[in-house]
Amino acid sequence: MMKCIACGNECPLEEFRYLYNARIDAPISIRQCTKCEAWIAVDELKGVALQQIGPGEAPWGKSAGIEGLAE
Amino acid sequence: MAQPALKDTRVEEFEKKQEWWWAAEKRRSGRLDYLRKAIWKKGAIGGLYAPGVKTDLEQAVLTTNMAKALEGSPDPYVVKSAKLFAHILDNKTIFITDHAQLVGYTGSLPNTMNWNPSIASILNSEVFNDPISIPEPVDKNQAVIQEIVDYWAGKTDLDKMMPVFDMDDLMKMLSGSIGWGVPLARGGYSNKDYEYIMTGKRGFQDIIDELDKKMDEIDDAVHEPTANKEIAMMYDRLNNWEAMRIALEAGIRIAKRYARLARIMAENFEEDPKRKEELLKIAAACEQVPAHPPRNLQESFQYDIFIQMMSRTEAIEGAWPCRPDYYHGPYYDKDVHIDKTLTKEEALDLVGEFLIRAAEVCQFKPKWAREGLQGIDGTWVWTMGGVDEKGKDACNDLTIAFMQAARLVRVANPTFAFRWHPQVKDEVMREVFECIRHGLGYPSIRNDPILVSNAMHWHGHPIEEARLWVHQACMSPNPTTKHGYQPMRMANATANCAKIIEYVFTSGFDPVVNMQVGAETPDVSTFKNFEAFFDAWVLQMRTIFSILVRSVNRARLLAPTMTPRPFLSGLSERCIESGQDTCDPSIARGNAWITAFTWVENADSLAAVKKLVFDEGKYSLAELKDALAKNWNGYEDMRLDFVKNAPKWGNDDDDVDRIMLRCLDACAKFSKELKCPCGNNWPILPENVSGNIHYANIVGALPNGRRLGDALYDGGISPGPGLDKKGPTAVLKSCGKIDHVTQGRAFLLNQRLSPTQLAGEKGFQLWKAYMRTWADLGLDHVQFNMVDDATLRSAQKDPEKYQEVIVRVAGYSAHFVDISRKTQDNIIQRTVQGLG
Repeated sequence: MMKCIACGNECPLEEFRYLYNARIDAPISIRQCTKCEAWIAVDELKGVALQQIGPGEAPWGKSAGIEGLAE
Repeated sequence: MAQPALKDTRVEEFEKKQEWWWAAEKRRSGRLDYLRKAIWKKGAIGGLYAPGVKTDLEQAVLTTNMAKALEGSPDPYVVKSAKLFAHILDNKTIFITDHAQLVGYTGSLPNTMNWNPSIASILNSEVFNDPISIPEPVDKNQAVIQEIVDYWAGKTDLDKMMPVFDMDDLMKMLSGSIGWGVPLARGGYSNKDYEYIMTGKRGFQDIIDELDKKMDEIDDAVHEPTANKEIAMMYDRLNNWEAMRIALEAGIRIAKRYARLARIMAENFEEDPKRKEELLKIAAACEQVPAHPPRNLQESFQYDIFIQMMSRTEAIEGAWPCRPDYYHGPYYDKDVHIDKTLTKEEALDLVGEFLIRAAEVCQFKPKWAREGLQGIDGTWVWTMGGVDEKGKDACNDLTIAFMQAARLVRVANPTFAFRWHPQVKDEVMREVFECIRHGLGYPSIRNDPILVSNAMHWHGHPIEEARLWVHQACMSPNPTTKHGYQPMRMANATANCAKIIEYVFTSGFDPVVNMQVGAETPDVSTFKNFEAFFDAWVLQMRTIFSILVRSVNRARLLAPTMTPRPFLSGLSERCIESGQDTCDPSIARGNAWITAFTWVENADSLAAVKKLVFDEGKYSLAELKDALAKNWNGYEDMRLDFVKNAPKWGNDDDDVDRIMLRCLDACAKFSKELKCPCGNNWPILPENVSGNIHYANIVGALPNGRRLGDALYDGGISPGPGLDKKGPTAVLKSCGKIDHVTQGRAFLLNQRLSPTQLAGEKGFQLWKAYMRTWADLGLDHVQFNMVDDATLRSAQKDPEKYQEVIVRVAGYSAHFVDISRKTQDNIIQRTVQGLG
């Protein structure tokens, strides 16, 4: 079970809509809560929501803020 | 008007901060500033048209009314087609934008996108179902659209052709899983016989005179006291010539309407004497061209715009193949250097306006095209530089003027592709570099010697013709010569290549569209070695390519009778000479290619399977098949193993690079078995536009570690974003192992460079050294993004402030705010390479 960081909705990881990866070589993906529609960075190995993703706020890429999460 | 819009001391400050868009606004002339801001943004944002941009119903109504009127006419179909074309040009609304020196637009108002309802019912349905683009009042206009859609149902080009296609192939293609586009002669990318029409030797009236002479000769010949097959066939030639004449005459008439409008405005409404003079110059230009050859730069640009506008009346054009510095260059030289009728600044204004006029062109496109070309209407990739037919440097002062004007007007479309060769002067390379450094994402750089050899290798173009090539779409070279030019590149020979490896795991069954599309290869878990696995890959590749190519070949054969193009034929020496339609394969050399979208996933996936399944035996194929079917859910450790512990393309790693070469060899071999109706080959051309996003929800999980939904790699032979970990030289070395002459038609390479590192003279020298390595390794293409992550993230957060930031998507550039969030993130994911 995973808990949405934005609204607290709790359900199995697969029920959070898979959007796309943050980086192909890290276990971090972007999923969407089906209840509140927030975009969430998810650790796919642990099945844990890490942070909410807003436009430009939680960027990724080689030198981006999510790097810390990915490594 | 050639004075800067504002004398602003902040220009240097903006440039120091690399806020090039603000600096450009201050540096350009008042005229360019007005014209740049007066155009509507036509590229679809993500996949949707911007508010205020509307479907133009005028052409649709004119076309429909004329089609109804011609229903009972005994005219041959080609003549009816020409009359339909002429009716639109004779009756469409025309306008002249304030301060403009060039005229002509595809729609009836500046905010409209023209809609040709005679091409495909699937397009017409999209017009009906796109309420954002329907003009006010929506209810009334929806009823008009409904009537048009109903009339054309079963009568459009595609509707008529579908029953004579192989239905099995057609359904697989239209499923959207393996191909992109439809096989139509009036929907794709038209190259033109520029050597015939753009060298100042003739205008439309000269061609009409030639046609009249031809028709008189044939008329005499068919009435000689004899009869045979040749005479029987002459009547078709007469019909084609008659249709060409109707189309060209209509082209002259609409230009004269513009001339009249300009004159009326000048003589009756304009009070500013300077503007009055400009309007009279417009009138004189439109009286001269296209009827007669241009006399100066303004007329030469005007001639070009008219031809493009008319071509877009006859067909849906997804590209704008041209070589403006080469064909307009002599007029620049005459006006600026010889006659001195234009100052350099005035000429720069004209060049900038030419770019702006091209940037506003738009035709309503289906959603799959909008998603695949986010932010632009089509790929106007303009060819610059290069050599002339004798192999001498063809760069000229207009090449430089285009680079400078591009930095002032900063449009995302057209973009430039620069034909580099060893004779290019440093002064020109510097201008090219400045465009890239200013974050335009263009020009892309093409290796002229390699591509000339490539054109000779694949299509047998003689060297003098091969040297006269332009980009027919984003990437593919095509000569602008009598027998070399390809009249229509039908976009559906565009393969979604990631399906090749996906189908090896599904035995050709496509789980997304739920049908058997690929070859029914054996269950993947039964393969005992990599060779058997690779054989299945080859069979899937051959199956997919064949489905797409068969449809295009069929359409090309049918085109002259079912979807003729009298206007385009009228611009072609071979058609004027032979009386045959431009698409007739018997009079062309052939220049076909298969665009290979989503290509590199194959090499990375095959390498991962080889290492982790067959070499190390760490996983079984059955296990991998199960993981992919479950979209890696529950297999995250295994997925990471396939990403991190398998070799990846772009790191100068022979294990995966050898596999890439093996795949390309298999394709190259098959490319020579596949033949177009001209008898020529079908080489592949790996590139993507934004197909990597369009296909993200169509391609399933792959052994390279991607899941359904993830963006595919950004295309061509570019490494996966963030997977090129060994620096720019390693990327070039991997790509340099490919034979860019014999293993495919062209290979797109995206690179991101640091704008900070490449600042100033030192930056230019670093880039030049990089380009020397690129050339030495024999790569045919490279293009650059030079906008840093911080700017792109800020643009995501506050798009209103960053409206003018441009990025290189794939074979084209777009404003960053006009592409989807997923595409934006995909660009940010790409590795920023440090040079030196």
